[in-house]
Amino acid sequence: MNLEARKKALRFLFAPIVDKLGYKFNPVEEDTDFLLESEVSLEQKYGFPYCPCQARTKDRAANMKIVCPCIPFHREHYDAMKRCWCGLFVHKDVSDPSGLKQIPPDKFNKKNRT
Amino acid sequence: MRTEAAKVSEIAPGGMLGVKLNGIHLAVCNYGGEFYAVERRCGHAAAYLDRGTLNGYILTCPLHYAQFDVVTGEALSGPIPEAPASKYENPAAPQLATHGLKTYPVTVEGDSIMVDL
Repeated sequence: MNLEARKKALRFLFAPIVDKLGYKFNPVEEDTDFLLESEVSLEQKYGFPYCPCQARTKDRAANMKIVCPCIPFHREHYDAMKRCWCGLFVHKDVSDPSGLKQIPPDKFNKKNRT
Repeated sequence: MRTEAAKVSEIAPGGMLGVKLNGIHLAVCNYGGEFYAVERRCGHAAAYLDRGTLNGYILTCPLHYAQFDVVTGEALSGPIPEAPASKYENPAAPQLATHGLKTYPVTVEGDSIMVDL
């Protein structure tokens, strides 16, 4: 199957979903293309476009929560970062994503508990 | 040979219609007001594609969710993976290759959707 065609299809399928969540594709085209390509590779290997930056486990339910776009399952965390974990999507109001940092989940959870 | 497949009013945008013309089964798709015709049988396990869903230009098979581009006929993805811990044999038949679909030129003449077979 054609890698470029699948990348285009994932863009087409994801765009309206993340739009309703207040996100958009990362404006840095090189990053977006690289991440989509990684997702297509994962999809071709495992059947799902998993997040390329999060580890899969033996827990299928947990793995389903990192199938792209995984924003609904990590909403508060990603909203705090203004980006999703891998950076494929950023908040709509972000024009320069270079300054957006990842907040490790344990740090985010700790901060939110206190 | 051009043959009438359907009336324009019969297929709403985002809709599909399965037709049989001169012995050839086709799925006629309306993508944003433009009509496209592809072979009706899925390139994976031969299910009727017009019973699936059309999301933009992406046609998803109702049986194992393989996806195709209705404009080019290209296969975009294969069947979904096996359900985990199932006692049944994998129904998605991953050993089958997913082939692209044959496409047919379509023109609209008046109220008729004409397919060149």
